[in-house]
Amino acid sequence: MSNDLDPERAGIAAEHEALMQFMYLSPVGLVQADMTGNIAMINPISAQLLMPLAPQACLNNLFDVLADVAPELRHMCTSFAADSGMICEGRQIVLHQGSHARIQRGTPEVLSISLLKLDAARLMAVISDVTEQVRRERQLKQADAWLNAILTNITDYAVVSLDRDGHVSAWNDTIGRVTRFGAEVVGQPYSVFFPEGGTTDARQVDCLREALANGWNLEEGPRLRADGSQFWGSAMISPLPDNGALHEGETDSTYCMILRDISDKHAEGATAHSATFSDALTGVSNRRAFFDAASKELGRRRQSPRATSLVVFDADHLKDINQRLGAAAGDQVLRQLAARLRATFRDVDVVARMGGNQFAVLLPSTDLAGALIVAERVRAQIAAQAAAPDGSDIPFTVSAGVAEMDDDANELTALMARADQAMRRAKQQGRNQVANWTPADHFQMPDLLAPL
Amino acid sequence: MTAPALTFDMADLGPHLAALSDTDLDSLDFGVIGFDNATAVCRYNQFESNAAGLSPQRVLAQPLFTNVAPCMNNFMVAQRFDDAEEQGTTLDVIIDYVLTLRMRPIKVALRLIAVPGAAVRYVLVQRQK
Repeated sequence: MSNDLDPERAGIAAEHEALMQFMYLSPVGLVQADMTGNIAMINPISAQLLMPLAPQACLNNLFDVLADVAPELRHMCTSFAADSGMICEGRQIVLHQGSHARIQRGTPEVLSISLLKLDAARLMAVISDVTEQVRRERQLKQADAWLNAILTNITDYAVVSLDRDGHVSAWNDTIGRVTRFGAEVVGQPYSVFFPEGGTTDARQVDCLREALANGWNLEEGPRLRADGSQFWGSAMISPLPDNGALHEGETDSTYCMILRDISDKHAEGATAHSATFSDALTGVSNRRAFFDAASKELGRRRQSPRATSLVVFDADHLKDINQRLGAAAGDQVLRQLAARLRATFRDVDVVARMGGNQFAVLLPSTDLAGALIVAERVRAQIAAQAAAPDGSDIPFTVSAGVAEMDDDANELTALMARADQAMRRAKQQGRNQVANWTPADHFQMPDLLAPL
Repeated sequence: MTAPALTFDMADLGPHLAALSDTDLDSLDFGVIGFDNATAVCRYNQFESNAAGLSPQRVLAQPLFTNVAPCMNNFMVAQRFDDAEEQGTTLDVIIDYVLTLRMRPIKVALRLIAVPGAAVRYVLVQRQK
């Protein structure tokens, strides 16, 4: 060996080897790729984290490996105009639903990825498993939201007393100031303050139950004034101390709801929020937001069982459209589809882009028949648009699969697999149609239980 | 005496490897990493050493899945050894994988071998053609 011959070269070789081992053992994933994602260099932790996601055990292209879980990355890189700089920092990629126990070693639920553009030809990625960190942050955020609700400057608020069923039990001036409703709200469920589709009966009960169990329930979202205008509201519901038996003429007030108009504050935070929780291309929720919202809904469902359905939409022939009309046209189709979904589904439904062509919608308190009706409406509207395209619209059709939760599919993963199986059958049967899951789908398409 | 011509995919390879001297192990044309009950690396042949760019003394006695091959520390590889050990079953599978040899992504076939009662478990590495 040359080690014996030349001490200087032997020293360099030993240093090189030590450096190599330093790279092998670095506890974060490091990847160098070109701007199209082709991997030039990669360290072992990257392989550990990415191999379970890699199609056909292949780590040639970073964007291909992450296409199902972070389809936006390619777009973010190609649309990054500066010669160099940070494309994204600590972007979280959700791989699995949050409620699962970490039963398998090294199976992360959330990855963090940072992308640095070095120059026109090189990209560095830093990847790490942040599952535990996200879990802790979530707990902290809850406490934060609670403090915010109490401590933030309040310009105005409505104090609404609710009876045990969540009906408004008395009117006062504060309700009038914030919501412009008059005494006619007394006796109505507090959903009267929600725009249509903003809540469900079951969701209302959930919030009351949570307030009883935890001492408080906090929700933000669009709220409705009497004149039909909307504002961004923050509502904290807390149970009132039990005052003993009611005297004659007294109304039963079990809860107090403090409703605040935080539209200004919401506008400030909305940009940052949307960067984290929405899909860059289409503006609908991303996987992270979907899994967050879905695991919350499923938690509620476990408390009090109710129908829950899921629809998976997949644009037909998107590959052809990409090839014939270019990738920009493919993006346009995804945006059209997302816009149609947003226009059709309720606020309480969770519409998200789950992967390259695929969208999922979780419908709380909706059974299979109900979900089928809405899915079919979306399909028909898109088909009608394709038959008579107007101006800039690109004609396309969509296939959808619908599944409802039951005892055999009471986890999100199973429900998603079912909707996916149904969607694939809709494709097989000629596309441009909606299929609902049947047990036969499971046996015909066993390979579809692959990770999403 | 030369080593019997062991091949990456021959049947019942585990006992053959155990019988091989370190010198014979070095003559094989695929990578061999042997590790003990505590997952410490106890055998590391020349082929693997060259491919990874690490000399055996940097690797031997180190825990495999954290200090030598962290890329295998997931359900596709490490978990399989855990499961086989827990259930007392024989593990002998070949899977497609990507190793990051010298930080390049290299497609390989991995053969994972664990026989209940055997002192050494093996990960074998063959480059894909």
